[in-house]
Amino acid sequence: MTFTLPSAEAKPTTEEPSTRAVAAINREVSPGPPRRRTGRLTLTALRREVPSGILAVLLFFLVILPVIFIIIAAVSTAVPRPGNAQIGEFTWANFGILATPEGRQSIINSLVIGVGAGVLSLVVGALLAFIAARTDAPWKRFIYITGMAPMFLPALVGALAWSILASPTAGHLNLFLEAIGIGSALNIYSYGGIIFVLGLYYAPYAFMLTYSSFSMMNADLEEAASVHGASLGRLFRTVTLPLSVPALAGAAILCFTLAMENFPVNAILGNPAGIETLPTYIYRLMAGDSRPNAAAGIAIALTVAVVVVTWLQQRVVNRKRFTTLTGKGNRPRTIPLRWMRWVATGFALAYFALSVLLPVAALVFTAMGDKVYINRFSDLFAGFSADRLLESMGQADFQTSTWNSILMALLAAAAGTLIAFMASYVRYRTTSRAGQLLEQVSMLPLAIPQVVLGMGILWAWLTLPLPVFGTLLLLVIATVAVNMPQGYRSISSSMLQMDGDLEHSAVMLGANRLRAVRDVTIPLMRTGLVSTLLLLLMLGLREMSAILFLYTSDTRVLSILVFHSFENGSISYSAALSLVFVLLIAVVAIATQVIGMRERKFKDAVR
Amino acid sequence: MKITIENLQLRYGKFTAIDNMNLEIGDHESVVLLGKSGCGKTSTMRCIAGLEEPTAGRITIGDTVVFDAEAGINIPPHRRNVGMVFQSYAVWPHMTVFENVAYSLKVQGLGKAETANRVHEALELVGLEDFASRGASLLSGGQMQRVALARSLVMRPDVLLLDEPLSNLDARLRDRLRIELREIQLQLGLTTVYVTHDQQEAFALADRIALMQNGVIVQMNSPSAMYLEPASAQIAHFLGVSNVHPVTAGASGTYTVTDTDLTLASAGLEPVGAGELHACFRSEDIRLSSTGAPGANSWRGTVRVSSFQGSTIRYAVEVASGMPDLDILAPLSAAERFQPGDSVWVTMDAGAVQILPQDAPLIQERAGVAA
Repeated sequence: MTFTLPSAEAKPTTEEPSTRAVAAINREVSPGPPRRRTGRLTLTALRREVPSGILAVLLFFLVILPVIFIIIAAVSTAVPRPGNAQIGEFTWANFGILATPEGRQSIINSLVIGVGAGVLSLVVGALLAFIAARTDAPWKRFIYITGMAPMFLPALVGALAWSILASPTAGHLNLFLEAIGIGSALNIYSYGGIIFVLGLYYAPYAFMLTYSSFSMMNADLEEAASVHGASLGRLFRTVTLPLSVPALAGAAILCFTLAMENFPVNAILGNPAGIETLPTYIYRLMAGDSRPNAAAGIAIALTVAVVVVTWLQQRVVNRKRFTTLTGKGNRPRTIPLRWMRWVATGFALAYFALSVLLPVAALVFTAMGDKVYINRFSDLFAGFSADRLLESMGQADFQTSTWNSILMALLAAAAGTLIAFMASYVRYRTTSRAGQLLEQVSMLPLAIPQVVLGMGILWAWLTLPLPVFGTLLLLVIATVAVNMPQGYRSISSSMLQMDGDLEHSAVMLGANRLRAVRDVTIPLMRTGLVSTLLLLLMLGLREMSAILFLYTSDTRVLSILVFHSFENGSISYSAALSLVFVLLIAVVAIATQVIGMRERKFKDAVR
Repeated sequence: MKITIENLQLRYGKFTAIDNMNLEIGDHESVVLLGKSGCGKTSTMRCIAGLEEPTAGRITIGDTVVFDAEAGINIPPHRRNVGMVFQSYAVWPHMTVFENVAYSLKVQGLGKAETANRVHEALELVGLEDFASRGASLLSGGQMQRVALARSLVMRPDVLLLDEPLSNLDARLRDRLRIELREIQLQLGLTTVYVTHDQQEAFALADRIALMQNGVIVQMNSPSAMYLEPASAQIAHFLGVSNVHPVTAGASGTYTVTDTDLTLASAGLEPVGAGELHACFRSEDIRLSSTGAPGANSWRGTVRVSSFQGSTIRYAVEVASGMPDLDILAPLSAAERFQPGDSVWVTMDAGAVQILPQDAPLIQERAGVAA
């Protein structure tokens, strides 16, 4: 279809041809894009896909290949071993393990613990979030910090501390109860104990997810309901709660999956009671019984369960598009609690005591108390010295593993940030067709239990003809892979907040793409990049499940050493290690918070 | 420099953003692409800039072919020497005003002294010479807009593109900057392409306006010609003609408003193209009076609303049941004023009435393509 324009070349300002002649129509429907991309265009098109190509290869080795190996292992008779990359014959027999009494019991245990801990962490986390965001309870700033504070304590350390506190024989709390004449009533080595500890340490996830939903709720919606005559209780039931459903459902399902696939808590608290869950069962099959193909069968079951639940969550969250949660500076009104004000704060205090104060105190008593064997409550206060703590810190394996932890976390955080930045850039800043696919692959580890992805990485790198197995690099690879979704999400939120025209304008002014990214995009995203780096650093330091099968005696990291010392009965040593471990993570976590605050201020200034 | 666009097409999957566009922009000329959001005007501009890759066609700037789908030519945006002012200004908050403006010169590797000279020259042109060392995040909207302009001018572009640069400013500042922009453009003799959805802005800035709808240019002309002779009722409506009513053609040169017995006479050109006809007349071209006689262009009606607007009074007058009220703008100095319920006579000159087809026929063609 063509039409002629008034002769533009002929002095347009002096002559004004009649506009009625504008539209001479050709009835032909315009053709689709002609076959192009021949010659030089093909080359430029190819060059444009270079970054996404590199990324695709990286993500293939990080995520896809391990998944393929797990699937292969689940349907074959052998797995790759050092010096032997054979994978055996095809068989369905591995799934038979799901029908054995042990297999069935571990599935049931995982479900019970996942549901229990999911509900508990949702109730605790959402309640704290609601109190901190919407009520007039005193000390709200403290309640807010309380909601996030247990993030400093990895669930591994929490489980260890609670086993010191409430083991049936010598738990500090039980000794206390005995001292006051009640008798040992607590047993942390039980379903209740596991659910309690998991709920305690996953509540912060529920807190963070629901807090933003509660605090950003548009006040107008609630005020509209009040204007139309709704009472406070009715308002909560008919407006506030339904609006929070996506956040609540999302939090519940996240906590459920995290609890179900958790390894350290289930191992530390479940093993003494003989409670086996899917992750600990996988670990036993891999490490103890040497039945890796059966472990792969279980792994597939666990993964399928997590995938189904994640998919359900997506559906719940996506079904209703809630556009009401705006970021406008419109503060929702606070709800008066009246006589319940101090009850609410008391609840937060109790949570803080159970999740942080008591565990840290137990670690300090155990690592620094003069008496190594505690038989009575008063033994705890027999005297303190830093001697044993210092002695622990002088141990060679302590120093090696601390160094390994730091090095591994730093490398993984740097590599993870870089890959996440590239993936997010390709997704949101280029027209590359691969963008969406790269995003999905980057988010895939969310649906794969960490223990399982670790197994896949083990087999993948045993097979690949590269000297990576047995080095710290393998641990770095696994850490990058499992934390890819968190890194990608963190970078993307920062990338999406930045107007793409800021970079385009540098290009229009003569800078090539790479230079524009260097001069404009990276400086403007620096707080987002740094906070992503710190987040990945913190997650890397805590990492344990994914690297369970990957370390060697030279590449043992702090989390593994803590676990092993506990398993070997060196409680005091593992408590000392834990203290240093927690300190390390706390430093990074506080830095993350400070950077986060600076970013908010920076953004306010820009606005 | 001259810009020639030939058979330009841009598709995203099935959606056609620009369909087979031909446009020639002369040297030193200022062309405004005018249209509603989603009509393809910004896409056209981004194709010229090189930020968007067309699916077909050719774009030439001066004598350089910067894009040709068939020959496989696509010069990347940073080598096109095209200046662009973005709607969001895209002024970098992590740099000072000076650093922002000096950026292109730094990329070119220009010496310090010359850079400083040219930056100050550009800042002077936009009236920001005192703000050079100020951090860009501390500027007001109008100042940012000037920085963005200076930043684009300092590189001495062959072509300057402006994407709704005034839309984020308040009305008064917009009026002032509009005139300043036009002044700078005329002073530098820059070839300019300007995108806007605001007809006032288009009238003020353009040598020629290209009016776009659904990815095609439906009319192109000088602002005054566009104002006086819109090609279709839809265009007339878009350009601010508030009275558009379907009519049926009668004997030579006379029309009846459809479904009424109101008659119309037009001194305009015979309508070109097929389809339903519409009578279009501006609210300021209608006179109100308490006396009159029935006839062509002279109807009896009832005032329903009158609203004081300062220098004018706006009336809504019902002339026939089932027909939308007439929108009438009477000067405050008019002899008579009316209240709601008053019976009035509405008259207009035959010269003020234009009979136009609903659409430039082209657009109906295109509906099928876009779907």
